[in-house]
Amino acid sequence: MKSPVISLSHINFGPSHTPILDDISLELESGHFMGIVGPNGAGKSTILSMVIGRLQPDSGHIDLFGECLKRFNRYRLLKNIGYLHQLHDYAPNLPLKVYDIVAMGLHDYAKPLWQWFGSTSHQHTDIVQALQYVEMEHLMDHDFRQLSGGQQQRVRLARALVRKPKLLLLDEPAAALDSKQQQKLYTLLRQLCDTQDIAIMMVEHDIAAITGHVDSVACLNRSIHHHAMKGEQIPEDVWHQMYGQHMHVIAHDTSCIGCHHA
Amino acid sequence: MQDALPPALFIAVVASSISVMILAHRLSFLTVGISHASLAGLGLAIAFSFPLLPTATAFCVAIALLLAALPKQRGISEDTGTGLLFAGSMALGIVLISQVSRNQVDLFGLLFGNILTVSAQEWHWLLFIGCMILLAFITMARAWWSIAFDAITAAASGLPVSLLRLLLYATVGLSVVMCVKLAGIVLTTGLMVLPATCAWLWGRSLISLWLLSMSFAIIGTFIGLLFSYHYDWPSGATIVLTLCVMFIMSWGIAWLTQRNK
Repeated sequence: MKSPVISLSHINFGPSHTPILDDISLELESGHFMGIVGPNGAGKSTILSMVIGRLQPDSGHIDLFGECLKRFNRYRLLKNIGYLHQLHDYAPNLPLKVYDIVAMGLHDYAKPLWQWFGSTSHQHTDIVQALQYVEMEHLMDHDFRQLSGGQQQRVRLARALVRKPKLLLLDEPAAALDSKQQQKLYTLLRQLCDTQDIAIMMVEHDIAAITGHVDSVACLNRSIHHHAMKGEQIPEDVWHQMYGQHMHVIAHDTSCIGCHHA
Repeated sequence: MQDALPPALFIAVVASSISVMILAHRLSFLTVGISHASLAGLGLAIAFSFPLLPTATAFCVAIALLLAALPKQRGISEDTGTGLLFAGSMALGIVLISQVSRNQVDLFGLLFGNILTVSAQEWHWLLFIGCMILLAFITMARAWWSIAFDAITAAASGLPVSLLRLLLYATVGLSVVMCVKLAGIVLTTGLMVLPATCAWLWGRSLISLWLLSMSFAIIGTFIGLLFSYHYDWPSGATIVLTLCVMFIMSWGIAWLTQRNK
């Protein structure tokens, strides 16, 4: 058995009478694609924020790549993580080319200016490859501000991929994409898991769209209600606990996890 | 003119470099705050006869760091904090300076700049902090740039964002002191915001913005000093005015080329 890339054990967050996260335990191996679904305010993004160290859990602990995540080793461990956050209040007014934005994802982007004039050929290859993944290489000299929301989102994903992460944390990556681009995105992510052994933890609220691609789905609403592996059905009472009685599952596919009418 | 040119151009180069970061991080009001707060530093130096520029430098950096730390601690928004410190220290500076006899203080020079009377000692001090600022800029420009674009992702990719932000504020504080010597308390913001604003219309990457910003500042300072010398206008105001004219021209040309595309 492979050692887990990330392991959360007994994470609690928020005041004890109304916790935001309550006793969360999750493990992810390399090459595993996990979707986290749940209603608004379920604490989905909070989990990702804890992994990247923006928030500290009140109790419990996080292991990354077999090491306990602490303040002093955080910056080193984060080098192996690609993170894509949600878009809100996001309007940078910097004149930047798409190419330069993807370059920001490189490990050594923030080094002093005089070092930047050295060898950059392998960096160039990495950047172009990341842009090819998201089919944006033809726009790499364009101004980022002139792109559409969906294109900007794909550039940001390229920035997370260019660092060749072992773990990808994606917070609603498909939010600004049309359904065709959504499916392309999930196919790409699936492919990255299979060929490059990346582990992916993806927060998404549309379970129907992701079920064909992910290895497992964690149903979250303050606590993990259910963690279903591929091919497994999520019991109906879990849905009702999470979303209330007025919940319709529309996906119909024999291989689909979320579907209970299969 | 010959005496004023090297320090003025040097200050222009330093200010225009930091100018890029001020625009990227939207810190123009911070420069207003720090430059006015420097009056209190100068007032302290005059009242207790400390050396003028070093005291002002220390005071400005302290104010900048205070402003970087204040909002997070107390839940005060950043512009409120800046406004507060700006008014408070300006008032303190006025009270302190009013206690000193009139002919000891060149108040007009403090407020509107006096690059024409830069002493050898002051020039050395300007060189020293200017080189520190440029070194900081060259070392951290990319990190600051990446934080300006997306602080959350920058932090998630392993950059010490709060430390870098603190260093940026301190560097801005240092640059303000230099500009106060050239353009005075009232006009410092013009010198720190205008060069990059001109460049913003044309540049498309960090390096091109930086080079453009420097070019605008050098040309503006040079033309400004020429006019100031020729017509006997106050130098700081003339330089800022030249930069303003350059911005309007630059904006007009940008607008025309956009329209004709």
